[in-house]
Amino acid sequence: MARPSNFPPPFSSSDYVAEPTDPADERIEVGILIVGGGPAGLACAIRLGQLLEEHPDVAERLGEVPVAVLEKGKQPGSHLVSGAVVDPRALRRLFGNRLRMDELPTFGPVTGESVYVLTRRAALPIPPPPPMRNHGNWIFSLSQLGSFLAERAEEGGAMILPETTAQKLLVSHGRVVGARTGDKGRGREGGELGNFEAGSDVVAKVTVLAEGTQGHLTGVALDRFSLHGEDPQVWELAVKEVWKVEKPLDRVIHTMGWPLRTGKRYREFGGSFIYPMGKDMVTIGLVVGLDYRDASLSVHDLLQELKTHPKIRRILAGGERVEWGAKTIPSGGFHSLPQRLHAPGLLLCGDGVGMVNVPRLKGIHYAIESGRLAAEAAFRALQRGETPATALSSYDDAVRDSFIWRELHEVRNMRQVFGRGFIVGGALASAMTVSKGRVELGKMRAEPDADQPLLVTDRDASYPAPDGKLTFDKLSSVFASGNKTRDDQPNHIKIERRVPREVARLWEHMCPAQVYEIGAEDGDGTVLLEVAASNCVQCGAITAKGGRLTPPEGGSGPEYTLT
Amino acid sequence: MAALVFLEQHGGELQKGSLGVLAKAASLGDGDVAAVIAGEGARALAAEAGKFGAAKVWTCESAEVAQPLPQPRVDVLAQVVEEGGYDTVLFANSVLAADVAAGLAARLDAGLNWDLADIELQDGELVGKRPALQDSVYAAVGWSGTPRLALFRAGSFDATPAGGGEPEVAEVSPAYREHSTAVKLVGQDAAESSGPSIEDADIIVAGGRGLGSPDNFTLAEELAKALGGAVGATRAVVDAGWYPYSAQIGQTGKTVSPKLYVALGISGAIQHKVGMQSSGTIVAINKDANAPIFEFSDLGVVGDVHAIVPKLTELIRARRA
Repeated sequence: MARPSNFPPPFSSSDYVAEPTDPADERIEVGILIVGGGPAGLACAIRLGQLLEEHPDVAERLGEVPVAVLEKGKQPGSHLVSGAVVDPRALRRLFGNRLRMDELPTFGPVTGESVYVLTRRAALPIPPPPPMRNHGNWIFSLSQLGSFLAERAEEGGAMILPETTAQKLLVSHGRVVGARTGDKGRGREGGELGNFEAGSDVVAKVTVLAEGTQGHLTGVALDRFSLHGEDPQVWELAVKEVWKVEKPLDRVIHTMGWPLRTGKRYREFGGSFIYPMGKDMVTIGLVVGLDYRDASLSVHDLLQELKTHPKIRRILAGGERVEWGAKTIPSGGFHSLPQRLHAPGLLLCGDGVGMVNVPRLKGIHYAIESGRLAAEAAFRALQRGETPATALSSYDDAVRDSFIWRELHEVRNMRQVFGRGFIVGGALASAMTVSKGRVELGKMRAEPDADQPLLVTDRDASYPAPDGKLTFDKLSSVFASGNKTRDDQPNHIKIERRVPREVARLWEHMCPAQVYEIGAEDGDGTVLLEVAASNCVQCGAITAKGGRLTPPEGGSGPEYTLT
Repeated sequence: MAALVFLEQHGGELQKGSLGVLAKAASLGDGDVAAVIAGEGARALAAEAGKFGAAKVWTCESAEVAQPLPQPRVDVLAQVVEEGGYDTVLFANSVLAADVAAGLAARLDAGLNWDLADIELQDGELVGKRPALQDSVYAAVGWSGTPRLALFRAGSFDATPAGGGEPEVAEVSPAYREHSTAVKLVGQDAAESSGPSIEDADIIVAGGRGLGSPDNFTLAEELAKALGGAVGATRAVVDAGWYPYSAQIGQTGKTVSPKLYVALGISGAIQHKVGMQSSGTIVAINKDANAPIFEFSDLGVVGDVHAIVPKLTELIRARRA
């Protein structure tokens, strides 16, 4: 049976490691370079701003730009999507008494919650299992939190460079010395257009990779410095929508079961989250483990199907979809963490290295906390009399002493007991009881998602036809993500284009943004895959399932504002 | 103010934009305005310049300025400014004029205000108006010394004859600098246009993937020709290499609003819709009755484009013949 991993992409991470090439006087010199303007990177920039304010002598030595943040999206927040019910601990630590929770752009604390096991028509309430309890947590739009954190970081003196990708990791004499930004203005075949602008070498004393899920340079760095963890990383794919609704929702809802299938051979694990964003908006999202096997499975279409459930239709009745987004979530947990979180000149944070608590469905607070700790280690490395290597390794010690490590370690075996997955996690124990075994426990995920042998069913025949009101096709969803990527740029998705039909079918259905399409038949059972790269919302699923996402031209991709 | 206006001419035709600047300068009423015309037939154009308010016209017909190259004109203008003692030189923006203005500014070490939309006298001082912040405000700009150079946006002023009389005509023949004549014009070509561009067209026939193959785009082309319209394309067919990107209509292509939009084999994804929804009358032909395009068409035909379009083209040709 075909496995996507049998058709590896034309990608070698060594192509993305380079010595600086710009003449020395043309390089952009910064003190600390942070790649990624998400919660981890921005928390790092904010903490550095606090430290440099307290130590102006160090700031002085770092030159004109002590802290720079590269952000590939149109602006910070443009590429952030989450089911953001946030544990506020890390935010409180980051801001201390500088800001209160209610001064953040939040939709308030969680006021109630329910968990349901769904069948096609019914919804069976179960008591929220302990890890899923959200009392004391706060609801955010991560996209909005991102733009808020970016403003705080800029106030602290960080320079944020939006629409700028980090294309190559600059390594000199075995030490990371910065990143090379991506070119702009290249045509489809790579030629230079009239508005061509070459990338630049941004050199730094310390580089912090905070790229989030499927981080491009994080993957490159894990290879280059042999940092991969004991188990391979695995992912889930989440697709979500934001709705304007007529009547307010008063609680956070999680569901499991339908429309996912319970048969063991399908390996379909996941569930949904539904929560209010203030009085007039609701977020609904579906998360599915990317170790699924059915080449006809489409998380986007399953989300559309989920919305037709009577229980959920009622919540959305009379409403209007206002935004749509998709993103992968690393879910390997403790055993998939890299062996080390640092390398010479380099620190790794957040989702990029898989800091997600799967049973608790949370990772934003780990991202923020790891960013804060990375800032402290990077700052230490810049002090006079410090050995940079020792200072950077103190980041690993700090993470090990933090709640990140403690909690990920505590739940490390939850994965074996409960198996699998984002939503399933801790809920499965209860779910098993109530559903009398209809919700299956999975096996432990020790093999990469792309190694799963494929099977093909006619599952796609039952996806609801898009009506443009409750259910939507993929293209209009890409539109609702704000994506208006320039079409005539090089394809940024590295993928084997001549593959067996079932592999092409897997990619076609999997991609929530309709990037892949089965093209011409080859005669010997293989087909040519067509790639509409400008649809891509950079969710990263393709990297999990046998291709490789690299950053397109800076500023491309979705422009989320509510997700 | 002693003002000089650079009048641009091609093939014996004075360019409207520069005549507009001349008329504006004359209307300021602060002293006589002179003009300079270079190139073949310059002398014959002097009288026309007079009608737009030039009291004196400097002409130059030497071989060096026969071709539309900027640098020799810089020499001409520098000479005229010196001989005539002008303190203000005005240009209407064009590819040629922008180069001449920049060259003259460098030659005379003069200040150049560019992209102006208007100019006026305030208490005897010349003040330019430059649009700023995405044209939401006008910035008032001046000069710190003379000569004052200004380059106006295309279309800033109407070229209305000011009713002036015969101008005084003077010839100028400067000493051309060596580098001024180093550039040779190898050839000149007008851009070939096979029909109206899709942004300007009143009628657009656009093709989508429903046409089936790149060859079938001739269906769209033939129909467009019969209707006197332009051909557009969807992103999918541009992506597939069936048609050039310049014809792409939609979110990431061009936004069009013709009087008549004929969509052949186009499903009508929202990315396409946002590029053409403000069209006057939308006619869609598609074999899929559920295609979203029918939701925003004025006339929808469910059927095979390959069967319908040739007949439609024939009928239109017959009607127009």
